[in-house]
Amino acid sequence: MGILGLSKLIFDKAPSAVKENSIKNYFGRKVAIDASMAVYQFLIAIRQDGNQLTNDEGEVTSHIAGLFYRTIRLLENGIKPVFVFDGKPPQMKSGELAKRAERREEAEKQLAKAQETGESQDVEKFSRRLVKVTKEHMFDCKKLLRLMGVPVVEAPTEAEAQCATLVKSGKVYATATEDMDALTFHSNRLLRHMTFSEARKMPIQEFVYDRVLSEMEFTHEQFVDLCILLGCDYCEHIRGIGPKRAFDLLKQHKSIEKILQSIDTKKYTVPEDWVYKEARQLFLQPDVSEASNVELKWTEPDVEGIVKFMVEEKGFNEDRIRNGIKKIEKSRQTSTQGRLDDFFKVMPSTPKTKRKSDTKIKSESAKKKAKTSFKRGK
Amino acid sequence: MFEARLVQGSLLKKVQEALKDIVQEASWDCTSSGLSLQAMDGSHVSLVQLTLRADGFEKYRCDRNLAMGINMGSMSKILKCAGNDDVITLKAEDTSDRLELMFESPKGEKISNYEMKLMDLDCEQLGIPDQEYSCSIKMPSHEFARICRDLSQIGECVVITCTKDGVQFSAKGDMGSGTVKMSQNLGAEKEDDQVTIEMTEPVQLTFAIKYLNMFTKATSLSGSVCLSMSNDVPLVVEYKVEDMGHIKYFLAPKIEDEDNDD
Repeated sequence: MGILGLSKLIFDKAPSAVKENSIKNYFGRKVAIDASMAVYQFLIAIRQDGNQLTNDEGEVTSHIAGLFYRTIRLLENGIKPVFVFDGKPPQMKSGELAKRAERREEAEKQLAKAQETGESQDVEKFSRRLVKVTKEHMFDCKKLLRLMGVPVVEAPTEAEAQCATLVKSGKVYATATEDMDALTFHSNRLLRHMTFSEARKMPIQEFVYDRVLSEMEFTHEQFVDLCILLGCDYCEHIRGIGPKRAFDLLKQHKSIEKILQSIDTKKYTVPEDWVYKEARQLFLQPDVSEASNVELKWTEPDVEGIVKFMVEEKGFNEDRIRNGIKKIEKSRQTSTQGRLDDFFKVMPSTPKTKRKSDTKIKSESAKKKAKTSFKRGK
Repeated sequence: MFEARLVQGSLLKKVQEALKDIVQEASWDCTSSGLSLQAMDGSHVSLVQLTLRADGFEKYRCDRNLAMGINMGSMSKILKCAGNDDVITLKAEDTSDRLELMFESPKGEKISNYEMKLMDLDCEQLGIPDQEYSCSIKMPSHEFARICRDLSQIGECVVITCTKDGVQFSAKGDMGSGTVKMSQNLGAEKEDDQVTIEMTEPVQLTFAIKYLNMFTKATSLSGSVCLSMSNDVPLVVEYKVEDMGHIKYFLAPKIEDEDNDD
């Protein structure tokens, strides 16, 4: 999923493009959330004793529990979320999807084995790998969001691409996802950890794409080529070329075409019938709905509708749900605090002469960060 | 080489007090014309802008433009070590990562030297357009501080309404409401005690009081304060720093939401 090792590369090559902020700093911002990613996270992370939450009928409810409470948390912080759902996966993703299916099968086998031997840790590990977001999960989520008065956007294909379009048009401030390919789709701002639980106390990580480009000295097209070399969802990548080499090669040759002409094909095996051009096309001109056709309105929550859905259909505790709804209502009443940076424009930062010792410290801490977030990146 | 000697050292102490609540870290920009600073608070709702002109210092030298990243907490701690009557000298080498502070007692029998580590800050600077404001209100700074403090007992927000009759501050909360009205008063003996209102158009704006209460930390710098307002733009609260500069606070108003359907 996403782009292999991209976040680490950005930490190394363009550290000033990444900032960490508390969620409070995003009040008043409209944010497009990659719904599939968020729901998948909820299914994996929201568990009790290692099992997903279920209601009396045994239906999984982790996703709606997560969606309900974490959306409320965003609203309480004055953030206006827009959830963007995936449409049909693009044809080119079939290879990647087939691989994922394979991995699932493998995990299933290993889960069965672990259950036999009774290794509880392994059982948990493999059962997490088996988590799959189904149409029913998505249907539940859309229904709940609409009841909560939060806008839902259905993308024709990839949600990240649609989010990027919304950011580009200025309809929203940023894309919130863990997948780095939102940048490849040219979303100028990407926020990670937006839908994480409060208890994890993870600051929001903000990537500013313009800065990534200016610090790496790449054009958007070159950045897309870089991502294809790193490994994306839409085609194979050249074996033997890791992040660092990909970066250096692209610096030198400026495009995949020129790299192909110059590299030693004996040393690096270029995939047969490599469809990098098509993948590039997909990133540069994805199938999305025009932002001007997307209307974003945040409305009053449908109190009885939510109670009926969450309590009667899904078996949640009524008091807790009603409390949650009260929080939504409260978040709508308080008039919004304006942001100073909406009135005054941020000036382009002038590069300062950096003191040597400091830059060193900075890059070290960036590396540390890169390490941890790299693990979580997938 | 940067060097600035300020005879009235207490000014710097007061400036620091006026800054430290609102920003934790800020970059002090030193140029040949003087010292300046611009910083937003963490939530990007307010901004403080400070200017101290070179001619206000007894001695001022800045060979190369410098941006000193300063941790306000550390700066406060060190400036607390300076006496109110001390002469303060700031010094930094062009490439150094330290700021030297020297405090001299008035009679010169005691000299303290401190050194503070600087930081590499990457802060966003905002371009603040020059603009004409519909209302500009000058009033005693302690009155303004008092009004903000009093109304913060009542509610979280203050509505400031300026008409030709005067300026009204009002707050509402769970327990009730409160209103303070100030009328023009040109008869006061001291200039600082006067209330003057210049207005081309009535204005009404709502602000979060907690930020105003941070701004009024600058009260001791100046006897009067000037509020400038226009509809739908940030409020400006300005205090003069003797005759060497000013400290200006900008605060974004509360806004009605147009994307909410009711």
